[in-house]
Amino acid sequence: MAASGGRTVGSFLWKCGNCCFNFNTVSSNLTRQVLSRQLCVSAVLHRKNLAAAGPEKFSEEFIKKQVEEFNIGKRHLANMMGEDPETFTQGDINRSIAYLFPSGLFDKKAKPLMKHPDEVFPKQRAVQWGADGRPFHFLFYTGKQSYYSLMHDTFTKALAVEKHQDRLRGKDLFTQDAKQISLVGSRWLLKEELEELLVETISEHDYARFIQLMERLLSLPYCSVEEDFVQRYRRQLEIQSSKQQVQPLQYDQHGVAYSTGDGKQRKTATGTVLLRDSGSGSISINGTNYVHYFPVLQDREQLMFPLHFMGVLGRFDMQCSVSGGGHSSQAGALRLAISRAMLSFLSEGQVETMRQAGLLTPDPRIKERKKPGQEGARRKFTWKKR
Amino acid sequence: MAASLTGLLKPWTPRVLLVRWSRYNPYYLEPEPRKEVYHIPETELTPEQKEERELKSVRPIKAATNSVTSSVFNDPVLSKFVNMMMKDGDKIIAKGIITQTLENMKRKQVEKYHKAPEGKKAETECNPYAIFHQALENCKPVIGLASIQKGGKFYQVPIPLTDDRRRFLAMKWMITECRDNKHRRTLMYEKLSQELLAAFSKEGNVVKRKHELHKMAESNRAYAHYRWW
Repeated sequence: MAASGGRTVGSFLWKCGNCCFNFNTVSSNLTRQVLSRQLCVSAVLHRKNLAAAGPEKFSEEFIKKQVEEFNIGKRHLANMMGEDPETFTQGDINRSIAYLFPSGLFDKKAKPLMKHPDEVFPKQRAVQWGADGRPFHFLFYTGKQSYYSLMHDTFTKALAVEKHQDRLRGKDLFTQDAKQISLVGSRWLLKEELEELLVETISEHDYARFIQLMERLLSLPYCSVEEDFVQRYRRQLEIQSSKQQVQPLQYDQHGVAYSTGDGKQRKTATGTVLLRDSGSGSISINGTNYVHYFPVLQDREQLMFPLHFMGVLGRFDMQCSVSGGGHSSQAGALRLAISRAMLSFLSEGQVETMRQAGLLTPDPRIKERKKPGQEGARRKFTWKKR
Repeated sequence: MAASLTGLLKPWTPRVLLVRWSRYNPYYLEPEPRKEVYHIPETELTPEQKEERELKSVRPIKAATNSVTSSVFNDPVLSKFVNMMMKDGDKIIAKGIITQTLENMKRKQVEKYHKAPEGKKAETECNPYAIFHQALENCKPVIGLASIQKGGKFYQVPIPLTDDRRRFLAMKWMITECRDNKHRRTLMYEKLSQELLAAFSKEGNVVKRKHELHKMAESNRAYAHYRWW
């Protein structure tokens, strides 16, 4: 039971402020609504929306008590670990619990957990009707009151925008090229995220209708009037170039800058590169000159691709080592290693250009597996009529 | 859009294996390896290009393939031709044949250039890449035929062709022509350079085949309304 599990750990630490506790009595069965620790964009997918399932299961005072217990337990835990209680983050809590209650279980959801009650107990709705049994919301009997009231709100906004446009037309101030809401770099809320927002379940069809209505609102020329409303239902996408790990430049004893590209995979071939600055453009692979190691022009072109793209052909000296795969995949692995090593020498804008040229993505293509009932990956056995 | 973003950035096998699938999630965009595109200053971009740039900054990009570089000698049409000529994955031999073809064409054209009178010298095209592109253009059919079943019989119906299909047909005809209709002793590059030079001056078997296809389409004009797309 989630409640008992959370309560056990929290109240445990509350009672045992003096570091005497019994390992055996920690119950670690937290089967439902356990939020995973993954740092994915929306954690909503990992828990079921039980809020819509029935009447409220936990009263407000209960949740408040849980929050207090959690905070006090957090301070005790910080004292136990010898850390500062003020700056004790959730990551620290997780590490401390993993240290104090080591669990040999494989199922992540079965291990001991200490999280804020808001993440453990599902968000739920207060009772929707008064003492006389009359519901508060006028759309209660539709079954999905939040969803339908949202649709009504959106449509009201669309009508308001159209009225605004008509007023402008009446005053002759209407122009087609009004300021538009910028949609690039953001996406619509996912169905699961919308469900979490509305605290009720909606179907795929409902979600599609909602998106359709929002698109219709956006098609009006003066929709920027309702920009705040629209942006509430959009999420920002993160800029991809910020995800590249750029190693800092290293300097050897002569003061020459160098950088290493760590072993990159392309179809079972791995390569490493040591890029040295202020060189003459010489490349040695596994001890031999690159012209002798790669007799095929295409492979040498692949080695030169990142250097030529950035215009630094004669600047670097390279010592490469490569193993595995065939000549083409070795050239591909080296190309990726060279690109990654070059990142330390480049600015942000240049890193983004390299990424858009396709130099920084590891090629995921591998040999397709053979399937049972077929001779190869695609080839079927000879068809015999009888 | 699929579930969480981390799931979109990994090498991926689709849950239902279609015939044509790739290890990239469909979320990935195609790379742009040419250098000039990135040196256009901000002011000279059209609104579509600006939007495309902003989209590219938030989406992951596929890796560039092995046959693509940023050098001036990288030609996508020529790469496609090399791949179509390749047998059993032996690209070294196919690329060698093409290189020899281009060299052969250049030699023939330079010979013609030196033999030509003064007035005609400027007209002889010596750049083998230009000859190749022009020859391929001359071989591309404008209209194609499709076999459509109506009332138990199959009719050859004239249909419009997409650019990719036209390019594919031109290359395919060129390669089959050079493989089938040559003397046992002539080498592939020799025959290919002959055919390309003939196609450049709108003669030769490939251009004849294109004209025959056009004539068939013209004669079957009456069945054009059988096409429903």
